[in-house]
Amino acid sequence: MLQGALAGLAAGGLYAVLAVCLTLMSRLVRVVNFAQAATGMVGSYLAVWLVVHTGLPEWAATLGGILLGAGLSAGLGWIVCTWLAETDTGTRSAVTAAVLLLLISLSFILFGNKPQPFRPVLAGPAFQVGGVVVSQVTVATVGLAVLVALACRLLLGRTAVGVRLRALSERPTTAELLGIPAKPLSIAVWAGTGLVATLAISVVAPSQSNDPTSLAMLVVPASAAALLGGFRRLDLAVGGGLVLGVVEGAVAQSDHLSLVRYFLPLLFIVALLLWSQRKEVWDAAR
Amino acid sequence: MNTLRVNGVTVARGAGPVIRDVSLELVPGRITALVGPNGAGKTSLLEAISGVLPIASGSVHIGPHDLTRQSRVGRFRRGLAHIEQGRAVFGGLTVLENLRLTARTGEQVDQVLALFPELAKRADSPAALLSGGEQQMVVLARAFAANPAFLLIDEMSLGLAPVVFTRLLPVVSRFAAEGAAILLVEQFTHLALGIAQDAVVVSSGRVTHQGPAPDLLASPATLHTAYLGESR
Amino acid sequence: MPRVDRRFALPLLLAVLALVLGWGLSVGLSGYFVYLGMSAVVACVAILGLGVVTGSAGMISLCQLTFGAVGAWVVSALNLVDAPGGFLVWLLLGGLAAGVVGLVVGLPALRLRGVNLAVVTLGLAAAADVTLVQIQFPGATEGVAVQRPGPFTSDRAYFLLCVIVLVLCCLAVHLLHRSRWGSAWKSVAFSERATAAAGASVRTSKLTAFAVGAALGGISGGLVTGQVGLAFPASFTTIQSLALYVLAVMSGAHLIDMAVFGAVLWVAVPELLKRWGVPQDWGFVVFGLFGVQALASGTNLGLLLRRRTGNEIAPVAAEVPPAPEPVPIGGPVLTVRGLSVHFGHVTALSDVDLDLPEHGVLGVIGPNGAGKSTLIDVLSGFLPRAEGSVTLDGRSLAGLAPTRRARLSLRRTFQQDRVPPGLTVAAYVRFVARRRLRGEEIAEALAFFGCPPADTPLARVDVGARRLVEVVGHLLARPRVLLLDEPAAGLPHEEHLAFGRRLRQVPARFGVSVLLVEHDLDLVRAVCDTITVLDFGRVLASGPQAQVLADPAVLKAYMGETELA
Repeated sequence: MLQGALAGLAAGGLYAVLAVCLTLMSRLVRVVNFAQAATGMVGSYLAVWLVVHTGLPEWAATLGGILLGAGLSAGLGWIVCTWLAETDTGTRSAVTAAVLLLLISLSFILFGNKPQPFRPVLAGPAFQVGGVVVSQVTVATVGLAVLVALACRLLLGRTAVGVRLRALSERPTTAELLGIPAKPLSIAVWAGTGLVATLAISVVAPSQSNDPTSLAMLVVPASAAALLGGFRRLDLAVGGGLVLGVVEGAVAQSDHLSLVRYFLPLLFIVALLLWSQRKEVWDAAR
Repeated sequence: MNTLRVNGVTVARGAGPVIRDVSLELVPGRITALVGPNGAGKTSLLEAISGVLPIASGSVHIGPHDLTRQSRVGRFRRGLAHIEQGRAVFGGLTVLENLRLTARTGEQVDQVLALFPELAKRADSPAALLSGGEQQMVVLARAFAANPAFLLIDEMSLGLAPVVFTRLLPVVSRFAAEGAAILLVEQFTHLALGIAQDAVVVSSGRVTHQGPAPDLLASPATLHTAYLGESR
Repeated sequence: MPRVDRRFALPLLLAVLALVLGWGLSVGLSGYFVYLGMSAVVACVAILGLGVVTGSAGMISLCQLTFGAVGAWVVSALNLVDAPGGFLVWLLLGGLAAGVVGLVVGLPALRLRGVNLAVVTLGLAAAADVTLVQIQFPGATEGVAVQRPGPFTSDRAYFLLCVIVLVLCCLAVHLLHRSRWGSAWKSVAFSERATAAAGASVRTSKLTAFAVGAALGGISGGLVTGQVGLAFPASFTTIQSLALYVLAVMSGAHLIDMAVFGAVLWVAVPELLKRWGVPQDWGFVVFGLFGVQALASGTNLGLLLRRRTGNEIAPVAAEVPPAPEPVPIGGPVLTVRGLSVHFGHVTALSDVDLDLPEHGVLGVIGPNGAGKSTLIDVLSGFLPRAEGSVTLDGRSLAGLAPTRRARLSLRRTFQQDRVPPGLTVAAYVRFVARRRLRGEEIAEALAFFGCPPADTPLARVDVGARRLVEVVGHLLARPRVLLLDEPAAGLPHEEHLAFGRRLRQVPARFGVSVLLVEHDLDLVRAVCDTITVLDFGRVLASGPQAQVLADPAVLKAYMGETELA
């Protein structure tokens, strides 16, 4: 059980990183980005393709993949900022659902629908606790999740850019009237989350089921985790991701519960929604 | 010296025009009071000047520069600032963070804080926790810190006790005296006309009267017609 | 009566034509195309369901084929145990089961805005995807194929059966769109507040849409089993659900013909790509691109094809009919005592008292920000945390939600345009009125206010006239009290007085008492018997019109001449 739980921690770290990205996107650019994991998937696949077909060194290929992930996300951000600047979160998010479809299909065409021959960036155990092995990947993803969350917190809280981003998310029109350029800043947020998501997926993809659909659908547990923080709080998003990973890992140990495992993120989401929406609220806008 | 000129501006919102063929000019050092009943289109006019609403026809110029097709940010960079209705503070940001959005230097922050000593004490608290009057001070200070040549102020008094509002008016006057051109929309008509040099009366989206503010103050008949309807 | 007949005759005629066409195709097409046609028809049922959820009710549902899988699973299971009733009964049960699953999934999404429902449905689709691969459909491992029903065993006959089912589904959806449910879906997609203010439950409206959509998904999945014999998880994947959603959005699937067109695309695009030797996955890329385009431009094929040219219809400035015999003003219907509302540190309303007499028109005026709209929000139940008491006919309204208040005969209109553009004037009026209305009754009320004719689509009506239609709808509900929030704001100024003279006749014609929030004093003077003036959330003055408007304190507040201490 403990071994399973710890094994789940690597996945949990990945959920946490993606949840942080989703939270940032929702807070700063008012969108639930269903294509968040899919952009990372395409970026990490490109890295594999580069290694296999051009013989580029591992690190350079990974870097290329990460840049592609960031670029894809920035491009999507540009579309949303240009044509959907004044629309509600629902419509903006619906666009990302269409992009999710597009990216999965594109990767079927470009890379096939089978798992990719990833060569692990990290492999092997990092250390042992009481006879249970903790892998390097686990340490890396959990570390990355905490690091990204802390860095975002510092960026938003302490820097001039962060303050501007917060101003923009709170009152976009007022911020623009004060000379804060909404579009470049928003696109930067898209690019940044694309970069981080691709990085995280590149680290974890070699050690888990990495066909396009599985990777793209990582957005489901990630949004479950982000929902714990109400798509606002980074610390709860990280916590939610880690807990979800650990519980999944533990449940996976039991054969009777294997089906339950698939439904864990959904149950998590439903429970959180029921709790957070228990009071009737009237949306001023609608 | 540059002026801001609004030439025959028409603004459409929803079905029809809410502003029709409005022209006015803002001159540095002078306050223009824009008065008229609720729903006359004052807010829409301000929003059209600053770029919140698109202009259907007509133009807005600062000196030789045509702002009509410029973005909100572009207009801000030309020296235009717009204080929106309803105390638009960033509630999640502290007072200081609000001010630093527009102030370039620490000195500028100190300068505007000197105008509102009340704020200095609350510099590090989130703006959402301030009283209505203090929030309006943050909004004013934030606009002043950008040192705009042209300032549009929409219903500064909304939801504020009159006492608080009278505390703010002299600061606006002084800012104009230092060289800014101000367009002031205000429901406390007489107070606004009291500090203004020029007056523009709008009713149902059109300018119905334009002239020196003291004259309008002296002849209430014009105002009564605009506010209380023709049958008066 | 002939009008009513024609309304039902046309759909029936189209249904018969569709059946004839289906029969013609089933005998005329080559075997291969019959099979393709089957796929298109099956997809069409699913898209029809999405049209209800996303097109009409404006929600994002990303798991339509999961509902299909539920239907397929039920049909396969019943086939395996050879349950009584046969295929058609199983198909119906599959649809019902999917509808129930839709209800259960939709339940947490009740009050949720679009995005949360999208997260839930995507989560369900992803979970169902992997689960199905593991458990497989009943009978799949044993190789027990689903039996097509008696006379429909051949491919051609089964295609015809699919067409029959599709036509029945289309008729059902058409009738639902005409019903209160359909109006509620379109209303809730546009404005939740206005839906509640019309006395319809926001929750029920969303749930019915979601359940109907899911049930159609289930029927579609059930048909698939008959088509292929053995259902496989590959027919119900997440990515196909996503594609179906995108297709529904870009084609405008709430219109039945566009749903059919979407289904044709669903089959034709991959087929063409196959013939051209292009990998079929490009099909979904194309759908994705068009979906992004459709969402970004806020339009769809259905809208593009049906875009009517011509101006928006404005209210007709007609003669004001002669006033009926005035009704005597009675005792108070609506009594407000000590009403206070705080938003954080700001006091929006403070200790407000008012009395609205039966058959009276009470004007509420005051400067911007005085709390007039807040007052209407409190009275209609949208701000439940207010202090103080509100009683309607002596009954306390404390703790009642907006929907309940509307059903108890306290109605309101909105300052913003909250009239759903997807309905016709008549459908909207019937929805808001919540009672049986004769055609003449509607026409008469519309004509009285100079509104466009009953069969005009609201999308073609301008904002001013739309708000008049809103007033007419609520008046036809014959409420005890109607709260009007600046009803004339969208009208040209010149027409305010004519509107005022009509409003003046409203108590006698419709038997209601009116509370009017308005900033045009000419209008207020023309309509109101009594006036209450609000200033900074307090009652500044209250009483008969002449007395209040002559009060120097009122003049000063309204003109902004407030004296300062």
